[in-house]
Amino acid sequence: MNGRLFPPKMLGMPLVARISERSTGLLYATLAAVLFLFSGIAHAQPEDADLYATGEKLFKGNCGACHKPDKDLTGPAMKGARERWDGKGDIYAWVKNSSAYLKTGNPYANEVFAKWNKSLMTAQALSNEEIDAILYYADNYAPKTPAPSPGGETAATPGAGDSDMGSNWPWLAVIALLLLVVGISLSGVRSSMDNAVREAEGKGPLPDRTTGQKIREWAWENKTFVSIIGLFFTVFITVKLWDAAWVIGVYGGDEVAHYKPEQPILFNHTLHAGKVEAGNLAINCQYCHSGAEKSRHAGIPSSNVCMNCHQAVSEGRTSAGTVEIAKIYAAVGWDAENFKYTGKTEPVKWVKVHNLPDHAYFNHAQHVAVGKLECQECHGPIDQQMDVAEQWAPLTMGWCIDCHNTKDVKMAGNGYYDEVMARLEETDLGHAELKKYLEDEKISVKELGGWECAKCHY
Amino acid sequence: MSSTKRYWKDLGELHQQPAVIKGRENEFPQDLAIDQVLGDASFNGASTGRRDFLKFLGFGLGAATLAACETPVIKSIPYVNKPEDITPGVANWYASTFYDGEDLASILVKTREGRPIHIKGNPRFGLNRNPALPKGSINARINSSVLSLYDNERLKEPMMKGTEGMAAAKWSDADIAIGKGLAAAAGKRIVILTNTLASSSSVAAIEQLRTKHPTVEHVQMDTISYNGVTNANLKSFGKRVFPSYDLTKADVVVSVDADFLSNWGNTTESTWQYASRRQPGKGMNRHFQFEARMSLSGANADVRVPMKVSELPQVILALHAHISGSDSGADAAVMKATEHAAKALMAAKGRSVVLAGSNNEGVQVLVNSINSMLGNYGSTIDLEGHSYLRQGDDAAIAQLVKEMDAGTVGALLIAGVNPAYSLPNAEQFKAGLAKVPLTVSFSGYADETASLCNWICPDHHYLESWNDFMPKAGHYTLAQPVISPLFSTRQWQESLLRWSGSYTAYYSFIRENWQRNMAAHGGLTEMFADTWNQAVHDGVYEPAGMSFPASGVTFAGDVNAAMGMAKAAKAGEGEFELALYTTEAIGSGQHANNPWLQEMPDPLTKITWDNYVCMAPADIERMGLNMYLGEQAPASVVTVKAGDREITLPVVPTPGQRVGTIAIALGYGRGANGEKVGKAACVTDHNGVFNPVGQNAYPLTGTADGAVNYDVLNVSVTATGETYPVAITQTHLTDMDRHSVVKETNLATFLGGDKRAYNHPHELAVHEDVNGDGVINALDKKPVAEFDLWEEHPVEGVGHRWGLSIDLNGCIGCGACITACNSENNISVVGKDEVRRSREMHWLRLDRYYSSATTKESAKQDGLGKIDMYLKMEVPEESPTVVFMPVMCQHCNHAPCETVCPVAATTHSNEGLNQMAYNRCIGTRYCANNCPYKVRRFNWFNYVSEQFSEVNPAWDDLGRMVLNPDVTVRARGVIEKCSMCVQQIQAGKLEAKQAGTPVQDGAIETACSAACGTGAIVFGDLNDKKSKVLGLATSDRSYHMLEEIGVKPNVNYLVKVRNTEEAAAHHA
Repeated sequence: MNGRLFPPKMLGMPLVARISERSTGLLYATLAAVLFLFSGIAHAQPEDADLYATGEKLFKGNCGACHKPDKDLTGPAMKGARERWDGKGDIYAWVKNSSAYLKTGNPYANEVFAKWNKSLMTAQALSNEEIDAILYYADNYAPKTPAPSPGGETAATPGAGDSDMGSNWPWLAVIALLLLVVGISLSGVRSSMDNAVREAEGKGPLPDRTTGQKIREWAWENKTFVSIIGLFFTVFITVKLWDAAWVIGVYGGDEVAHYKPEQPILFNHTLHAGKVEAGNLAINCQYCHSGAEKSRHAGIPSSNVCMNCHQAVSEGRTSAGTVEIAKIYAAVGWDAENFKYTGKTEPVKWVKVHNLPDHAYFNHAQHVAVGKLECQECHGPIDQQMDVAEQWAPLTMGWCIDCHNTKDVKMAGNGYYDEVMARLEETDLGHAELKKYLEDEKISVKELGGWECAKCHY
Repeated sequence: MSSTKRYWKDLGELHQQPAVIKGRENEFPQDLAIDQVLGDASFNGASTGRRDFLKFLGFGLGAATLAACETPVIKSIPYVNKPEDITPGVANWYASTFYDGEDLASILVKTREGRPIHIKGNPRFGLNRNPALPKGSINARINSSVLSLYDNERLKEPMMKGTEGMAAAKWSDADIAIGKGLAAAAGKRIVILTNTLASSSSVAAIEQLRTKHPTVEHVQMDTISYNGVTNANLKSFGKRVFPSYDLTKADVVVSVDADFLSNWGNTTESTWQYASRRQPGKGMNRHFQFEARMSLSGANADVRVPMKVSELPQVILALHAHISGSDSGADAAVMKATEHAAKALMAAKGRSVVLAGSNNEGVQVLVNSINSMLGNYGSTIDLEGHSYLRQGDDAAIAQLVKEMDAGTVGALLIAGVNPAYSLPNAEQFKAGLAKVPLTVSFSGYADETASLCNWICPDHHYLESWNDFMPKAGHYTLAQPVISPLFSTRQWQESLLRWSGSYTAYYSFIRENWQRNMAAHGGLTEMFADTWNQAVHDGVYEPAGMSFPASGVTFAGDVNAAMGMAKAAKAGEGEFELALYTTEAIGSGQHANNPWLQEMPDPLTKITWDNYVCMAPADIERMGLNMYLGEQAPASVVTVKAGDREITLPVVPTPGQRVGTIAIALGYGRGANGEKVGKAACVTDHNGVFNPVGQNAYPLTGTADGAVNYDVLNVSVTATGETYPVAITQTHLTDMDRHSVVKETNLATFLGGDKRAYNHPHELAVHEDVNGDGVINALDKKPVAEFDLWEEHPVEGVGHRWGLSIDLNGCIGCGACITACNSENNISVVGKDEVRRSREMHWLRLDRYYSSATTKESAKQDGLGKIDMYLKMEVPEESPTVVFMPVMCQHCNHAPCETVCPVAATTHSNEGLNQMAYNRCIGTRYCANNCPYKVRRFNWFNYVSEQFSEVNPAWDDLGRMVLNPDVTVRARGVIEKCSMCVQQIQAGKLEAKQAGTPVQDGAIETACSAACGTGAIVFGDLNDKKSKVLGLATSDRSYHMLEEIGVKPNVNYLVKVRNTEEAAAHHA
């Protein structure tokens, strides 16, 4: 079922609004595709594409934290550096070990040093050829064209409409019901109008047999058929209602569309946490969600954590990304032009995705630090196919205790569990219990009390 | 020996009054609260037909279902810059100091996401620290004080008196106007009236103001005066101070009307010191108490002698005569009554202490003389390292009031005290106040005094403030803010600095003051930053080489003059003598606005939300007043007249009250003139009138010999004929009248070493030859522990098995555990009317049992016949003995509640806990009916709703901030009960798992055990062989409440042992 192509907030909307929003999505997607087609023409490629690529790679690996090709950052813009140094000194020696070169007393080196806050560049283990490549890249630098946003592409995926039927059936039922009501009332209107016409023409009214009566007569004549059909419909509706009741208030799992609220910043989890092989950054989840190891809350990172990287990375891979990064700057009050904090801050108002009821206590530290679970076991492939975060698991009690029933406790090397085992082995009662536990050759969370009410409800 | 006494909870039960005890056998004496719901006036005139009702029902159901489908959007807002030491979801603890002018305690404040939510004693530092446990000793007022931070009636900005009363003002305007006012007062007295500050930085701030305004004077006032003691010390030893007492060194404690366990002196020290000597054994102290009213100290005494108020000075005279050997002119009867106490004192010279609660200088000089003769100075009493608290000067205040009236006071600045409410001559004070050109109050509320001032410059709550204190020489404590100020308030010392022309923040001022003082004392100034940071971290600073070794002092008082003053107290003409006292919960009245404290039952009378006249049952009977109180049995109302002053209050029979005396609590009746003194100080009463809680009894105090006098020797009591409902808890929270509820013995029997003599296990006769005498008869018995109806829970020796051990000897009945439990577990305050209907929600209650000293054994000794014996066992209310017993869910391994729950909402955990899943409970209340300990509470209403907004702090957005985010707030229709602080257990286990170590004994504490500074409540793992709780649970004194019903609780009690003379002699 592909119901989750609609963001869940749309499910509650009137039908018309939904259709129009979807068509807007299609419109954007088309526009984006057109832009993409024309983008190739807009910029010329550098002459030596290989050297450019080598330079780009080296630049990103060694220089990107402090330099930009075309703008000043912590260090000066690198475009034109070779020209600036031409005749004034040895740029290669400067790059390789700036502090040593400074001591030679080169006047231009000292001028640059003074201009850039007297901070030295880290010595770089680069060959002259590599420095050439980097400078070539910088001199010929052309910003990449924004690619169409991933959201647009998804919306443009064809075939979404026909697999939608499953989640649309309540709406179809409502429409059918409406049509039925309209039909019946229309027929009533028609017969009274007929009668009025006949009256005006001086004829007597039609014999008083309404549609209802006709249907009733017909049903009476086909008792068995109607009963079977009626029974079938009753059972069908009951079963459907029963199923639907089970997922009331559930916003994850296989049954329903995942909850994926609109966020103030379209933070792309896959880009930040995904694998390097797939071109992503592979940042450890807990670099940002640092509470997961020590608190009940994994926590939404404070904006200053974003700035650890984004102080240097001000541009996204797409222009849309740059817009989102600018939102962080607005939150922390970072003046990217002048490279300083303004002091004006505005906290980001995220929308909470995973909501547990108040009477359920969940602790991340227990599961991450002690249970040694991977984040993905509950949060799904957040690093592979989730741009904006969504609720993957249903977070129902059944889902929780299912896992508690099957997962074994990570006891090895933990003194706490050594003591638990020692106590089990000490008494006859404990021995009997342990034997029961080990029938499936592991000690599950449930067996150590993971199914008890007061483990989560207090 | 243990079980032949007869115990009772109240007179209705003792005398089996059918009208009063009717319905007590029921867990829920009332039917469903339908009448209250339908009684809602808005239902009148509604005309909803059956079909409409069904339509609404159908629509409601549909709407609810649809509403459930929509995901609520919950915003989650992280910090922009997260402070390094805050992790959302992890509590931070900060050391600070509580001081309100009465109690001083080093505390730890628990904050969550920046909100203080819980307070406990500092277990590592401070004078209130019991080093043996180690735990910080605090009382209910201290741990409840966190709630007052979130009181919506606190002033949110400065106030200025205008033509139409008080109006909000700006700080800048206040500073300008008060600056001008102070300048205009040049030449006249500028008086800063405060409570005892004991704070060098506060004094320095006053000094700084004096540099600008040379006529600034500082007058200190204690709401409850100790001038008798301090003046006597001036006369006797040349030092006007309150001494330090060390009860850990006292083998014999003789207290004459000094309630040192509840309110007299530095109770945060004396409670743990006293309790440390109550462990049964050779080192157990003996405690004599002479008093008119049954006080908390009297209830704990080994020998309690009820005395008339006018006889109490005679007791001191008599003790003096006994010990000095010279006649003091004391009454012959009193001489005889004090003989045993004097003998005990003489036998423990240098290891005893005599305390007197009297505020009469003469009496206190005699007490000093007695203690000096006994050689107690330098051992149990310390005048060198004396207390710096209680420096208030009644004479200076009297002089001030006189001068205010004469118009020689140019400005009066008031901080920390409420003289318009608490002075004996409050009316004169108010009249004088109106004549002072500039009056400024620093009160956080527009209270009785503040609302009469020109300006109110509200001080921070103490949890928002920096402060330093020196409670004793060489012992410094620091208070640090644990939250940014909630409102536009300013610390009063900072206001003084501002008006002296300095813009220093008070924090910098304290720090600089410390640095200066330490330099002056040759401290290491270059290391100051480290020392300071450590002091802030610990909350306490005790510099090396600044201890004052206690030494003997020479008594130089005039005994004859003192005897003359003591003898001046003569029985009055009136039929009654009145003793004014302060209660454990409310104290002197500044915490009267705290709903947790108002709902905390008084330790002795078990009454909530009121003050009342305590009267001996015999007098009640004589006057024909209502003796038996209950939900449907209100108290009689009487008018007490003392000279031209009178007060009208309900009268409550209090066993132990000396016949011919009455007692009334101070500290009630706040906000009587409509002042906004805080949320719970005034509530809507049973007649629907918004009234103060209780009546103000301060106007009944007087002045004698230059000190405030709390004994009124000539009062008359007349019944008004009206009745008044009082909310008493222990008439409905009952226990079966069986001997296995309370067990007690005396020290000699305990030292005899035969456990069966004082802690006999319950046995059942069995049909097998147990004793091997060849005959199967009634002598063949087995302990009840060997019988079982249920299958064993696998908790013995497996995993954890959490348990509590409660020492009836350690429990002094202070009730700090109750309020700590309220704070930790989000327990609803329900208000007086609900308490009266036995619907209070406390998970932990403190049962108080009275009994006669007469036992079957003592009756035999006295040669009483059987009938006489039983009669005597039932007529003991003149001086009953008292047992306090904290009762919470006993977490039975064979819990009767679990088997009757139809929906399995209450189940047993494999760690021995009786669990309660609120979201599963459907409210049948079968469990509560089946609980033998009556510890399950039912949510009759949504207590977090507008209906209870007057009393329940969780109703408004501000009060809600005190809630513990780890504990669910329960809704209407579910049962709740003690969870043994399962959230703490889970957190402690997680901490151990993360550290990779077993749970260390003592690492996890329940709220009650952490709050218990006397160490009576001990929590731990019964499966941990090295744990303290296992040691106690398997000790000879350990027993289970109602052991014979075989429910196998995880909570055990330790038999109470009294150090009574008679029985000791008998066994010796």
